[in-house]
Amino acid sequence: MLTSLRHYPVNNFYDEALAAPDQPRESAKQLFSQLNDTFFNSFQELQKSSEAAIAQMGISFTVYSDNGNIDRLWPFDVFPRTICSQEWQSISTGLKQRLKALNLFIEDVYNDQQIFKAKVIPKEVILSSKDYRPECRGMRLKHSSWACICGSDLVRDASGTVYVLEDNLRVPSGVSYMLENRAVMKQVMPEVFQDMNILPIDQYPMQLLSMLRSLCPHESDNPEVVVLTPGIFNSAYYEHSYLAHEMGAELVEGSDLVVLEDNCVYMRNIEGLKRVDVIYRRIDDAFLDPEVFRKDSALGVPGLMRAWKAGNVAIANAPGCGVADDKVVYAYVPDMIRFYLNEEPIIENVPTYLCSRKQDRDYVLGHLSELVVKPANESGGYGLLIGPKASKEEIETFSKLIQDNPRNYIAQPTLNLSTVPTVCEEGLEPRHVDLRPFILQGEKSYVTAGGLTRVALQKGSLVVNSSQGGGSKDTWIVVTEEDACFQE
Amino acid sequence: MLSRVAERVYWLARYIERVENTARLAKVHSQLMLDLPKSVKLSWYSLVQITSNEAYFAANYDSRSEKNCMTMLLSDPNNPSSLMSSLRWARENIRTTRDILPREAWVHVNELYLLVKSQQEDFETRAKRNALLSVIIRACQAFSGMLSGTMSQNDTYRFLKLGMFIERADMTTRLLDEGGLYIAQECFENEEESHFDAILWAHLLRSISSYFMYRQQYQSEISGQEVISFLTQDPSSARSLSYCLKAMYTIMDDLPNPSAVQTALQLLQQKINAEKLLILGSHELHDHLDWIQSELSMINNLLYDIWFNPRRVS
Repeated sequence: MLTSLRHYPVNNFYDEALAAPDQPRESAKQLFSQLNDTFFNSFQELQKSSEAAIAQMGISFTVYSDNGNIDRLWPFDVFPRTICSQEWQSISTGLKQRLKALNLFIEDVYNDQQIFKAKVIPKEVILSSKDYRPECRGMRLKHSSWACICGSDLVRDASGTVYVLEDNLRVPSGVSYMLENRAVMKQVMPEVFQDMNILPIDQYPMQLLSMLRSLCPHESDNPEVVVLTPGIFNSAYYEHSYLAHEMGAELVEGSDLVVLEDNCVYMRNIEGLKRVDVIYRRIDDAFLDPEVFRKDSALGVPGLMRAWKAGNVAIANAPGCGVADDKVVYAYVPDMIRFYLNEEPIIENVPTYLCSRKQDRDYVLGHLSELVVKPANESGGYGLLIGPKASKEEIETFSKLIQDNPRNYIAQPTLNLSTVPTVCEEGLEPRHVDLRPFILQGEKSYVTAGGLTRVALQKGSLVVNSSQGGGSKDTWIVVTEEDACFQE
Repeated sequence: MLSRVAERVYWLARYIERVENTARLAKVHSQLMLDLPKSVKLSWYSLVQITSNEAYFAANYDSRSEKNCMTMLLSDPNNPSSLMSSLRWARENIRTTRDILPREAWVHVNELYLLVKSQQEDFETRAKRNALLSVIIRACQAFSGMLSGTMSQNDTYRFLKLGMFIERADMTTRLLDEGGLYIAQECFENEEESHFDAILWAHLLRSISSYFMYRQQYQSEISGQEVISFLTQDPSSARSLSYCLKAMYTIMDDLPNPSAVQTALQLLQQKINAEKLLILGSHELHDHLDWIQSELSMINNLLYDIWFNPRRVS
């Protein structure tokens, strides 16, 4: 048994590394045998060298604050999170299934609306979504790929069941940190990788590029793919520049692109104007095209929507795909899977109460102190109510917010997120984690081997967002002895 | 290469060159004040004129004191052409082009920016001012040297060089104008003060580190006429107009579609070389220098048409 885990508490949570005291889970067995005699101070040293590596590689993220934006070093914990490859296989199939259904749904919403006609989802729920874009009506996309890049958040509850917590379909971020985390781990614990069978993840940028190229709306041997960033002041700029660099694509800002009378998109470069075929955009719909959306947007490209609708350029993710990234729509994803694919969902949804339904609303208002309440379309963990931790005033505020605008709120039971040993001041302690794998859908589908494990570094905290004190871990999909995973 | 990126590195180099030249200008002026006799009415305000800041000065300052002129030229954060503003813009440009420049580039400029920012009040006293200006000049030279010692001869480097040379050419015209200005003020009315003429020109040459090179070429007494010729027509002096234009021309050989701007450079070059008799302190010299400045700004615009804001599909 791992020396430094001798005093590791075992409680009501599912721990990803330990099934019981002295009993590592299948996915962690190899790791434990490697680290058998590692004392806690060695972990602290590994932690220090990983932080030094992060500083040296310049891995940072931006925190917006009232006192200006601060560039912070990426918070990282050196103890990895492990998952069995067999379990991952099934999760991965489930994620592809989910994204496929979501894409069919988006195309349906903007075209025939069969799912409304079949009364599977009420029409008004969708058409009232903040992210429904009437401008997209009638658009059909190659491979029906609207949400081409999806970052789904997975959580595991006390029973060990994995749920999808939300699907991020607009401009999901974090994948570069997943890749950098692995690079850091290889630097500080190279021996472990040599002796264990951990699935590699480095192929993501190439998979992303090949997916983007498959979106090119016309025949082309060498489509011009660009990454569109809002610029250096965006919190994810580091990632934009990282991905562009890894794919060998230009990193452009709105002002680099121009749409001419032929409704084609061109990029300004020193040779002249060069035609652009595929845009991996990292700016929100609202800022995409001042001719159509926000007039005051200086980040976007005037005429971009014209070019897209004329079928002269592919945009990933497509404008309007946020309609499926609404927490109310989320509640219907299992129904979508049954409706479009005629399959049963492989990964479950977290039970969700829709405040727009009277029955659900009454339940939510009566049980606010037990539930997590979320606004339907915010991201980054903002505007949440965590019932068990909320004050009386907060609960009253939310009660009023829900009654004023029921469509805008959903509620879910408080989940007992699983834990992973984490290097803390006094020793290895359990901290709550989630997991964000990235799913690509173009001509083919692809899921990263693992994803970005986010960890709430504060004791007892469930908030994993890096903007709010969360950290991250490397995620290992471990190939183990056959069928051994589920014997625990 | 993206137009925006090319434009940013071009301006990065222009701003760094401008920081260096502004520092030189302020330093030589301070030195000059010490050497010229009291009867010579050398004014701090001429620095405002040379840098074409008359309107800004009139709107924001009252007396034409040393302090006001120096503040406007060096530390005024609202004056877009102050040394501090140029340095701030250089830093912004480098921040947004870090991924194509050597790592040290950001470190150099950021360090200089933080240093100058924390010691700005040194600009107010002469002794400290000169020390700080020397530090700035040296840091800019180190920056240019670091780039030429580490960068590949690629498009990024070419646009950096273009920015440096066009800014340098512009500053050379302004320095010559400064020399002419004093003469025009008829500071040197009487015979016995006429040898200060030579002091003035020697200072100007020193301000751009060209004194030694000039001396090697002309062994006679310093004459304004020859200085003008040295700084405009000399084909090999690092700061002469002719040399800067020629260098720009050659750099453009390796950039796409350079012909229009190369033709313009050639024409300007011919006109500069043809100008033979420029009388010190005359309006003609001033007008000629003004005209060159406007030609340089026209060339700057051509760079926009061809590379920074192209409208033609390639």
